[in-house]
Amino acid sequence: MTEAVLRTRKLRKEFGKGDGRVRAVDDVDLAVDAGETVAVMGPSGCGKSTLLHLLGGLQRPTGGEVELGGRRVETMSERALARLRRDRIGFVFQAFHLMPELTAVENVEVPALLAGRSPRAARTTALDLLDQVGLADRTGHLPSALSGGQRQRVAIARALSTEPLVVLADEPTGNLDSAATAEVLRLFDRLHRAGQTLVVVTHDARIAATADRILSMRDGALVDQTVLAGAA
Amino acid sequence: MQDVVLALLAKEPSHGYQLRARLRDALGPLGEALNDGQIYVTLTRLEKAGLVTWEPAGEGEGRDRKVYALTPAGQHRVAEWLTEVAWPRPAPTDFHLKLTAAAAARLADPIALVDAQRRELLRLLRDAQRAALAEPPGSVAGLLLEGQVLRLEADLKWLDACEQAWTTRGDRK
Amino acid sequence: MGRLLLVLRLAWRDVRRRPVEAILALLVMMVATTTLTIGLALNDVTDHPYEQTKAATAGPDAVAGFLSENGAPPASAAVDAITRLPGVTAHGPLMPMAHTTLTLGRRTATVQAWGREPAGGDPVDRPKLTSGGWVGAGSVVLERGFADALGARVGDHVTLGGRSFRIGGTAVSAALPSYPSSLCHLLCFAGIAPGPHAFDLGLVWLTPADLATVHERTTPAVVYLLDLRLADPAAAPAFAAAHGRETAPFLLAWQQIRDADAGVTRSAQTALQVGAVLLALLAVAGLTVLAGRRTLEQTRRVGLLKAVGGTPGLIALVLFVEHLALAVLAAAAALGVGRLLAGRFTAPGAGLLGSSGPATLTASTVAVVIVVALLVALTATLLPALRAARSATITALEAPARTPRRHGRVIALSAALPVPLLLGLRLIGRRPARAALATLSTAVTVTGLVTILTSAAVNARDTGGLHNLRTERLAQVTTTITVMLLVLAAANTVFLTWATVADARHASALARAFGATPDQVTGGLSAAQVVPAAPGALLGVPAGLIVYRAVTQTSFSAPSVAGLAAVLLGSVLAVVVCTAIPAGLGARRPVADVLSAESA
Repeated sequence: MTEAVLRTRKLRKEFGKGDGRVRAVDDVDLAVDAGETVAVMGPSGCGKSTLLHLLGGLQRPTGGEVELGGRRVETMSERALARLRRDRIGFVFQAFHLMPELTAVENVEVPALLAGRSPRAARTTALDLLDQVGLADRTGHLPSALSGGQRQRVAIARALSTEPLVVLADEPTGNLDSAATAEVLRLFDRLHRAGQTLVVVTHDARIAATADRILSMRDGALVDQTVLAGAA
Repeated sequence: MQDVVLALLAKEPSHGYQLRARLRDALGPLGEALNDGQIYVTLTRLEKAGLVTWEPAGEGEGRDRKVYALTPAGQHRVAEWLTEVAWPRPAPTDFHLKLTAAAAARLADPIALVDAQRRELLRLLRDAQRAALAEPPGSVAGLLLEGQVLRLEADLKWLDACEQAWTTRGDRK
Repeated sequence: MGRLLLVLRLAWRDVRRRPVEAILALLVMMVATTTLTIGLALNDVTDHPYEQTKAATAGPDAVAGFLSENGAPPASAAVDAITRLPGVTAHGPLMPMAHTTLTLGRRTATVQAWGREPAGGDPVDRPKLTSGGWVGAGSVVLERGFADALGARVGDHVTLGGRSFRIGGTAVSAALPSYPSSLCHLLCFAGIAPGPHAFDLGLVWLTPADLATVHERTTPAVVYLLDLRLADPAAAPAFAAAHGRETAPFLLAWQQIRDADAGVTRSAQTALQVGAVLLALLAVAGLTVLAGRRTLEQTRRVGLLKAVGGTPGLIALVLFVEHLALAVLAAAAALGVGRLLAGRFTAPGAGLLGSSGPATLTASTVAVVIVVALLVALTATLLPALRAARSATITALEAPARTPRRHGRVIALSAALPVPLLLGLRLIGRRPARAALATLSTAVTVTGLVTILTSAAVNARDTGGLHNLRTERLAQVTTTITVMLLVLAAANTVFLTWATVADARHASALARAFGATPDQVTGGLSAAQVVPAAPGALLGVPAGLIVYRAVTQTSFSAPSVAGLAAVLLGSVLAVVVCTAIPAGLGARRPVADVLSAESA
């Protein structure tokens, strides 16, 4: 098997103090191989979103390690984290989080421009990605003129714009209806086949079913694993 | 199966192989398990029950020389079938009883049973979904697959509820 | 390159998305900085005409004065002691100056009557005739600025200390400031009042013989003046300081005369600078409201930029660049407009030669204006920006609308009040900082208005019916500032209400869903502005009086009570009117639209 792209050891995150202390993530050991799609499932409040935030350096752990592409994440400076996020991680959020004042193609360009790519190169990549997600005819639209499914596809294209090592998705279909969910599913399936490493946190079983492995999380800990890869 | 074959014959008298093709179209990947023999076995039974009759079809060879058609009794049966509203398997009774029994007799940990069942349902869901994604948009068979996916999803949600219920029951003891 | 493009694009798109807000922000900053520009541009404005006049009239480098309480000329030894001082290269004759009253028709003014020989040709101080001829028996010459103010022409007859004289001519001189600036030469230092209309002293030249016949004087004291030419005119202040005494000789350097001459513009300038400070405060308040309205949106933007890999520095840049660009634009526009407008306040006094031309903007003025504009923008955006930038990525991204504060006591207290007040008080409780801004904004406005009212009351004092250039200038300036204050204050009130309406949209829709009428909701939204505005208005009254006192350094002088009451009532009424429109619009949106839009 290939080397793990993303790995955690004894990862822990606590909120609050004293008696009110809550362990949102409790001693999580996780290894995601290159090209693998891993889904983390669990009821609301089980800590799965926090786990994703720790993996992406959006929050700092209370203890333990996170390693991405062979580099330790939890000890990095804010600045280095910012660089890591824009070069090696692509985020997809439940609420899309597109900039309302930028068009679809401009939204997709943002990480590439932040990474210092030339405007021309960023534009070419962005147009190509929008074509791949089936939005070649919507590049000049503002998010407000797009449907939920289209917005999420723009967000996925944005996550891919710097060819990240890993894409981290947090309830990507949480705000979508059944038809739009199918659009996103199709896209994730394609990414999976293309060898993109993907970690999806969700309580949508349909999204989880596209993964190679499904991890069940309860009260901050990983409690069960369903291996789906190769069975078909 | 008998009712379905009767309903398929309601449109027009057909050869057995035509019926089979229509069935496959509607079922998509789920109809692959159907073998040719089953159609003919069903037709024979229907014939014996006086619901179906057949005539030789002029030319052609083998069993396909027969063209099947509904008898008046068969038509009556089809009409009756269409008004029926019974729904198969409205409740996951079996698994529920399995959990209760296992817990009562301390045969197995209900949570472990739920986990195992969930793994199985997730695999089924994965397969159904892959099949659904492979269907061209707007296919009739795709709709059936979507029904399967949605049912599995509902079952998975119910498993979550089972898990929660059995966890709290376990805690209370 | 790419990053720069991104920063500029984000700023530009944001402006395009909310053009109205951007234009309002621009206007608010522009009003404040324009006033500041004018105030600063007036700094050196009259130097030039004064120096031209001094050159054309061989004006003195220094003037020696001897105060004679009984009217007798000083001893020649004392005069010689001055003319023989090192550095004195030439001097004029010893000239008497008495104080009396001049009447033309129904107009009366206190004047300095200055005895000059009809022959003329003195080596120092040769007043330049602008019409008619020089003094002669029975014929006097009026300083041009004074003649203009009086409406006097050559050939008119004036009464000077009870005697009638013909006006033989008008002239300008650099030996005394031109009317209405005045230098109460020696008398005021000796504690002698020059006359009843002493606020502005006119200047009239006549022969010493004629002067001797003017018996009705406002004071028996006579000042004897001696014009001096110095080897080093630039060193005149040092010369005066080294050799001058309190009574005899009293030495005055030409620079002091020049500065007194600038008095007309100076009072306008002071008013403008004070006004600019007040306007800048209002601008900060207004911009804070504008920026604060968008904190939530900004916070989400920050979270997003962080998530996709923006470094803290870049994010700060994105947050500021838009407002800083607007500030620079506002400063540029203000410099342009200010330069044009400054000309209106700087027409040279009629008592001087030459013209001041368009007010010039020195590099330091430009720098100060730009810096102030940037500071205003920074102050207003700093807090929301810092709050946004410091929040953790995830909190920022998922920022719910900032939870309104809960003030149990306000809620309990308001329960007993009529519905609009109840709603209004609860709205204030949700956003106390905004209420504080409403108080501040009203306080600043009322401070400005009271200051202006006081100065108007002071200026309306008796000037003998003369047309007074300084009063006119000041009136012109204060009117300008008043208009600007009112515009900004109105804009602020509208911003505040607008922000409250946006903020309370959900709450007021709910109130209406449960049966509050649109009028009650409008009333509530208005009350949320008016209640904090009232103490602001009350605070503004003493503040205005204090500011007037501090700026003019005059003794306390209160404007009429009626005027103060009008300002107070007027400002509160104005707040009501300004809030009614946005509040009314906000309260009439269909309930279902609002409630369903909130959940989207």
